[in-house]
Amino acid sequence: MAFKAATQKFGSSINAVELGVGDKKITLGGENVFPLYTFDDAIANSPKVGVELTDLGIDDTLPELKEFYAGCDTIADQAKKAATMEGADFLSLRFEGADPNGENKSTEDCVAIAKEVAAAVDLPIVICGCKNVEKDSELFSKIAEAVPDKNILFLACKEENYKNVGASVGLAYKQKVGAESAVDINLAKQLNVVLTQLGVNAGDIVCNVGSATAGYGFEYVVSTLDRIKSAALSQGDGDLQMPIMTPVASETYNVKESLASEEDAPEWGSREARAVEMEIVTATACIASGSNAVILKHPQSVATVSKFVKELM
Amino acid sequence: MAKFITIGERISTTAPAINKALTERDPEPILKRAKEQIAAGADYIDVNIGPAESDGEDLMKWAVQLIQGECDNIPLALDTSNMKAIEAGITVYNRSKGKPIVNSADAGDRVEYIDLAAANDAIVIALCSKGVVARDNDERMVFLQEMLERGMEKGMDAGEDMWFDPLFLVIKGMQDKQLDILEFIKSISEQGLKSTGGLSNNSNGMPKNIRPIMDSSLLAMAIMNGFTSAIVNPNDRRLMETIKCCDIIRNETIYADTFLDFLDK
Repeated sequence: MAFKAATQKFGSSINAVELGVGDKKITLGGENVFPLYTFDDAIANSPKVGVELTDLGIDDTLPELKEFYAGCDTIADQAKKAATMEGADFLSLRFEGADPNGENKSTEDCVAIAKEVAAAVDLPIVICGCKNVEKDSELFSKIAEAVPDKNILFLACKEENYKNVGASVGLAYKQKVGAESAVDINLAKQLNVVLTQLGVNAGDIVCNVGSATAGYGFEYVVSTLDRIKSAALSQGDGDLQMPIMTPVASETYNVKESLASEEDAPEWGSREARAVEMEIVTATACIASGSNAVILKHPQSVATVSKFVKELM
Repeated sequence: MAKFITIGERISTTAPAINKALTERDPEPILKRAKEQIAAGADYIDVNIGPAESDGEDLMKWAVQLIQGECDNIPLALDTSNMKAIEAGITVYNRSKGKPIVNSADAGDRVEYIDLAAANDAIVIALCSKGVVARDNDERMVFLQEMLERGMEKGMDAGEDMWFDPLFLVIKGMQDKQLDILEFIKSISEQGLKSTGGLSNNSNGMPKNIRPIMDSSLLAMAIMNGFTSAIVNPNDRRLMETIKCCDIIRNETIYADTFLDFLDK
C-alpha cells in the first residue's frame, strides 16, 4: 500500500494582522498549522523580518554595520538605508533615549523623529519604547496621534500600562497594539483578554511574549512559544491566536558572546561575526518555535534569516 | 482529551414558557434562552420539542433555523421522540460550527436513532439502557456494545460521533448506585469512547440551594473519570465555574487570572 502522509491542519488559525499601508504593507499570521509546517497546509504569510533602529543612532563599535550606514546622519537617513536591506520587511524604531533614567529625551523630540522616519520610508513601522511604562504610555499615545494612517504597531504595552496604551493606540487612534509579557504564558493570555475586554479588536493585537538569547534560558522561550501555538491551534484558544513578534537584536547584543572584544577573547574570533551568529541562531529558533516576526539589527542577519524563511516556505 | 463540552438544556417543552413559545412559534422566549446559555459558555444548545407528533417536522425546522440564524450557527442537539422531526431539522441545519447531535438513541426501541445519525453524518447520544434502566454495569456494558456495533456497522466514526450516556440516577433513592455510574464512565473512557448525560438528574428533589453543589461535585468526579460532555443548565454558575476549573486542572485551557470573567458579562 502506498504511503500516505497524514496532515495536521487545524480548524483554528492565528489571526492575520496587517501592518503598514500601501504596496509595502505586510500581514502577520493567518496560518492554521504549526510554525513552518508547510507540509500540513499552505502558510499564506511567511514569518517577517524587521530591522531595528534606535533614536540613539547606529552602534559604531561594529565596523560592517557602521560601514553599511556610512553617511546617514539622521535617523530618517538611517531608516531609508535600512529599508534597502535585503530581506527587510519592516522597520522597528526603538526609543531607548526616552528613558527617564537615561537620556530622558522629551516626548516632543521623539514624536519628531517618528514623523521624520514615517515620512522617509514606506515600509511598515513598529515603534518600541524605552521600557519605562509611564514614559512609554505617553510616547505611544503621542506618536499614534501624530502619525496617523500608517497602521503602526506599538510594541508594546504591559500589564502596568495596557489601559492607557490600549485606549489611546488601539481605540482612539486605531493603530495596532502590541502586548508584552516576559516568558509567562498565563500573563500573555491575560493581557490579550484584558485588552479585548477594554474594547481593542483581537485582530488589532500582536504579542511579544518575551525572548532571551539562545543559550540564556532560551528553552523557556521555546516552550512558551510552543504552548501558545498549541493552545491557539489545537485548543482553539481565541485569547492566544494573536501573531507573535519577537525583538531579537535587543536581547542578543547584550550577551558576552556579542560584547566581548577580540582582545579579551581572541579564541572566539571576530566580534561582529559572533554577534551576527547569536542574532541568527536566536531568530531562526524563535521562528521555528512560533514567532511570526523577528526584529534584527545587522544587515547580514536580516539577509540570512530572510533567506532561511524563503527556503522553508 | 479535549475541553469539556456542555450542551445547554434550557430550551425544552418541559418549561411551560418554552412549550408555549414553540406552540405559538414565538421567537422571543426561545432566542432569549438560547442567548443566555451561549453567553454562559454552552457549546451546544439542546432543542427539545417534546413528542411533537402532529407538526414535529415543521416545528423542528422552524426552531433550528431560528436559533442558528440568530445565534451564529451555534451547533444544536435535536431532541424529540419524533424521528421524522429530527431528520427534517437536519435538512435545514448549518454545519459550519459543528455536526448536529441526535438526542437520543438507546439499545431498545430507539436504536434506529443510531441509523438516523449514521445516515446523516450526525453525532448520536446513546443511552445505555433498553427501555428500563440497566440493572448494573454489566448490563450497561452489554447495551453499550450493542449500540457500538450498530453504529460501526452503519459506518459511524464511533470514537468521535457516538456519545454514550450512562444515565445519571437520582441520589435521593439511589444513593448507593452513584459510584457505579462513575465507574461506568471510567470504562467508557478506557475504551476510547466519548460520553455525555443529563447530569442534573442526580439532584432531583433536592432543595434549590443544594442542587448546584451536588451537580458540581458529581461532575468534577465524573470528569476525573474521563467524562467528556454533559447536558446541563449552563446558567448554573457554580457548575460552569467547576467545568472551567476542571479544564484548567486538566491543562486543556491555558490559565489566566481572567478565565472566569466571561461569566460576569
